[in-house]
Amino acid sequence: MTNEITLTIDNIEVTVPQGTLIVEAAKKIGKEIPVFCYHGKLEPVGMCRMCLVEVGTPVIDQTTKQPTLDAHGKPIIRFAPKPVTACTTPVSPGMAVKVDSEAALADRKAVLEFLLTSHPLDCPVCDKGGECPLQDLTTRHAAGTSRFDYEDKQHFPKKYPLGDLIVLDMERCIICTRCVRFQNEIAHDPVLAIEERGRHAHIVSYSKPKFNSHYSGNTADICPVGALTTRDFRFGARSWELTNVPTVCNHCGVGCNMVLGTRHGEIKRVMPRQNELVNEIWLCDKGRFGHHFNGSPQRLTKPLVRDGEEFVETSWDEALKMIAENFASIKETNGAAAMGGIAGAHLSNEDLYLFQKFFREVIETHNLDHRVGLSAMLEDDTAYTVGVGVGTNLGQVGKETAILVVGSDLDQEAPILYLRVAAASFKRGAHLINAGGRRTKLDAQAKVTLRYRYGTAPYLAWGLVSAVVKQGLAKDLQGFPLNEDDFGGLPDYSATKVAAITGISVAEIEATAKAFASAPNGIVLFGLEAGHDPSLRAALETLVLITGHAGKPNNGIIAVLPQANSRGAADMGILPHRLPGYVPIASGGGLSAQEMLADGSPIKTMLIAGADPAVESETYRNTLSNLDFLVVQDLFLTETAKLASVVLPAKSVAERDGTFTNLERRVQAFEVGLPLAKGEAWADWLIIASIARHMGADWGYASADGVMAEITQLVPLYRYMKFENLVAPTALERKTAHYIYEGLSFTAEVREGLQWPTLAEDKTAKVPFRFIPPAEIQNPKPNLILVAPRVLYDDGRLLAESEVVKNHLVKPMVWLSRADAAKLGIADGEQVTMSRHGVAVTVPVQIHRLLNEGVAVLPRNLAGRLAEQLVGAGVYAEVEIQPVRN
Amino acid sequence: MTKNTRRLLVLFIKNLIFLNVDRQFAYYNIITMWTQQEQQELTEILKKYPADRKMSAVLPALYLAQREKNWLADEDIEAVAEALDISPTHVHSVIGFYTLFRKEPTGKYLVQVCTDLPCALRGAEAFYQRLCQRLGLSPQGGTTADGLFTVEEVVCIAACDKAPCAQINLEYYENLTDEQMDGVIEQLRKQG
Ligand code: SF4
Ligand code: SF4
Ligand code: FES
Ligand code: FES
Repeated sequence: MTNEITLTIDNIEVTVPQGTLIVEAAKKIGKEIPVFCYHGKLEPVGMCRMCLVEVGTPVIDQTTKQPTLDAHGKPIIRFAPKPVTACTTPVSPGMAVKVDSEAALADRKAVLEFLLTSHPLDCPVCDKGGECPLQDLTTRHAAGTSRFDYEDKQHFPKKYPLGDLIVLDMERCIICTRCVRFQNEIAHDPVLAIEERGRHAHIVSYSKPKFNSHYSGNTADICPVGALTTRDFRFGARSWELTNVPTVCNHCGVGCNMVLGTRHGEIKRVMPRQNELVNEIWLCDKGRFGHHFNGSPQRLTKPLVRDGEEFVETSWDEALKMIAENFASIKETNGAAAMGGIAGAHLSNEDLYLFQKFFREVIETHNLDHRVGLSAMLEDDTAYTVGVGVGTNLGQVGKETAILVVGSDLDQEAPILYLRVAAASFKRGAHLINAGGRRTKLDAQAKVTLRYRYGTAPYLAWGLVSAVVKQGLAKDLQGFPLNEDDFGGLPDYSATKVAAITGISVAEIEATAKAFASAPNGIVLFGLEAGHDPSLRAALETLVLITGHAGKPNNGIIAVLPQANSRGAADMGILPHRLPGYVPIASGGGLSAQEMLADGSPIKTMLIAGADPAVESETYRNTLSNLDFLVVQDLFLTETAKLASVVLPAKSVAERDGTFTNLERRVQAFEVGLPLAKGEAWADWLIIASIARHMGADWGYASADGVMAEITQLVPLYRYMKFENLVAPTALERKTAHYIYEGLSFTAEVREGLQWPTLAEDKTAKVPFRFIPPAEIQNPKPNLILVAPRVLYDDGRLLAESEVVKNHLVKPMVWLSRADAAKLGIADGEQVTMSRHGVAVTVPVQIHRLLNEGVAVLPRNLAGRLAEQLVGAGVYAEVEIQPVRN
Repeated sequence: MTKNTRRLLVLFIKNLIFLNVDRQFAYYNIITMWTQQEQQELTEILKKYPADRKMSAVLPALYLAQREKNWLADEDIEAVAEALDISPTHVHSVIGFYTLFRKEPTGKYLVQVCTDLPCALRGAEAFYQRLCQRLGLSPQGGTTADGLFTVEEVVCIAACDKAPCAQINLEYYENLTDEQMDGVIEQLRKQG
């Protein structure tokens, strides 16, 4: 093969693709070239000089252009007079590299002596000790003594808060700039830099607040010394004392793989677990630091029953008996139609499966749902048909792929997905189109930014469909309801009309349609801010079908679902109109969450597991407090639990096992990290099964994987999802993380989980086209649109209970553009009153220099739930705004 | 009115005015830190660089931002960052790399006297100390009470053969005697 190059490293022959760096070629044959500044995920810079090796190339005869041979017929190698950095030098044909030669070893020794001139050598009290590349390479390669003057060491403060979550010990830093480059190249938050020069050089952050990034924890992982440590692990434990348990993050739909480092029944730290298909080797700070709720003193520890205004503790047996009796008698008197259930989308598949089975088989009703709060904001019925193909890897797509993002602020909603989409464009040249109603961080990495008016996303999507067809770029129109050349008979979504509605130009619409249709691969992501109109989903589905971007890897749709198991909740049939596996219910099904919680709802009793509808609206709270009997199972005494008749303590994700299905339909297992649960907490599936048993059902479930075994039998989509398949270690080539090279020090198996296939992947099935007209635009020229997006650090209970991130929780405030602030004559920090439908809310203003005019942002799910009062169950609405003058 | 209440009242009124000014300032602060003249010059500077490579203009932009008071306050740094679409941290790191950018209040004239070895051999150390004394500064240097001069010791400014030497803002003064230095200081004082 022409693109392969053969060379020798310490006389061992190795063949690698052209462009490979010497350090990577050596890794391939298991030869370790020590590095500090080099990192496989970052651009090489050659700063630390640790990787010096001797490099020789064959002497070429100038007349024959062939290598000159010696007496034994071997090519003569001429070695460069000076050592070369293996981390920046690509291989060349016939190259000879000496890694362990005397000269190379001497160089390494010298470099280490330099790197250690000001190092405090405090490994015994350093959190990195035991998993520190500097410590290990020093013991392996350095001289035992130093010739530098001890008195001349450079001193810096020992625990400088570089940001709220990261502590810097500058004396340990070796200025490798991995942290700075991670922030610049991967996180796209350039908030770290080196200030001053030479021995005074030090790491600084001047953002406000300091180290303002959702990804700061990763810098502590990849720092090759103990200079950067996380606030919650400082002096927490020695790394070798930890038990490392593989788990999956439960904070958003990305499903990052992580490891719980536990000791004495406590989680000491959370680190990423490599999965190149999901999170690579990264975690966002919410996932890394938001685990402290597991050990919160506010956790429920015993079953509680209501006694007037109070709760009293009781035994499980009493509580279960009481629930069974009440459920049975209400069913008897009011019928199953008066009973309903709501389950949160961060419960595991096993919990959710039994939850729906309980309602459908034991209670005999379809009144169940998971769509309250965030889960009600974004529904996705496209995954079953045209979700991204099995084997999709956003970590690898590049130039041949067009990615269209509609209405999602990935950096806030699904941080690690943001990193991967940004890198696809920034590092690998994917054609990224970011369409949204306001500026988001992803704009900076997008090739094209489309700014539509809020509410018009479905029009844009149909406009793209129409433009693809008109330009003759449709690949598959079989069964397509719109006539190819003539849109006359059907609604007109010509670029001109759509441009007038959306505010995006005709040229942009046509160019986007062309770019998306003609790219070999196409992926669409859509999120909360695209709106809840089913028309949008139908249009996006049509778009990927006619462009042939469905049913294969790196093609299809990803909904940026809000919760860890939003996908699983739909898969498991926590919907009033669908059985597990998206089987429609012939009778039409039961009541939705909104119907069950509405004023005058016929529901008399409910079981609510891991959801808190009472915080969402006053109406919900009223309905819930008027129920005859309410059972809540949760970690905390939530607002909903406070209204309950019986409250049952549930185990947290760290205390039990189970599976989550992520937003790419990847089913992943998590294991028990803390075998001793808080108090008498039970896993949710066990609670549900026990209620069923007390009601006379013959349910013998004994473990989460037992429940999954039943799911694999009954839900064809999940037929391969047995625990043993999910935890099987993965193919070797994707395993690359090694603590010297990438910063993950513990040995945890890499597993990738399994995706279930979509209908489009079934070659015998044809996905039918749907046409749903978009909702009418109420006011095409609104004065001010208030958007209530999701932010990473909101006031969700799990996060609010994680003490270490307290300072990060977003305070209620509205962002206004400069133009709008100037119009109102208000300054940063002043108050405004926003009103809609007679509801008024007063909040301080923060002027946002990059926000577009006519858009105000007040995130949802903050303390006080102010945005919800104005926009209700939607994500945006037109509001009136007044400055508060006093 | 007792003396104390009067004092409180004055304080109160001062505060009122101050708050108002402050708030106004905050308002403009967000819009721009540049004077009209500077804004124009900045636009000219930016024309020399491709639109997506504004960050290349960081050095000239910093000189411009520092011109008026001879040092850079946080607000100036933020204004540069904003104008060039880069992070304030990045601008700080550039400032930290170059010795001619100052982040502490500095006199209008920055007098840097080299006392490195070759200059010291020609009496630069004593020359520097006498200068400090005449300006009423401690031997560590510092800024004169009128805010006009900041004096400091530096290492080699590449005029070793003409010691004692000093750099005042961007100008060099070489083969200096005390009298000559006094003349220069006098001259600059007159210019104000
Ligand atoms: S803090 Fe760590 S990662 Fe950052 S430059 Fe220093 S040694 Fe490298
Ligand atoms: S991106 Fe989502 S899943 Fe990943 S660590 Fe962050 S919150 Fe957890
Ligand atoms: S110079 Fe190669 S690893 Fe740092
Ligand atoms: S040593 Fe003073 S100018 Fe060079």
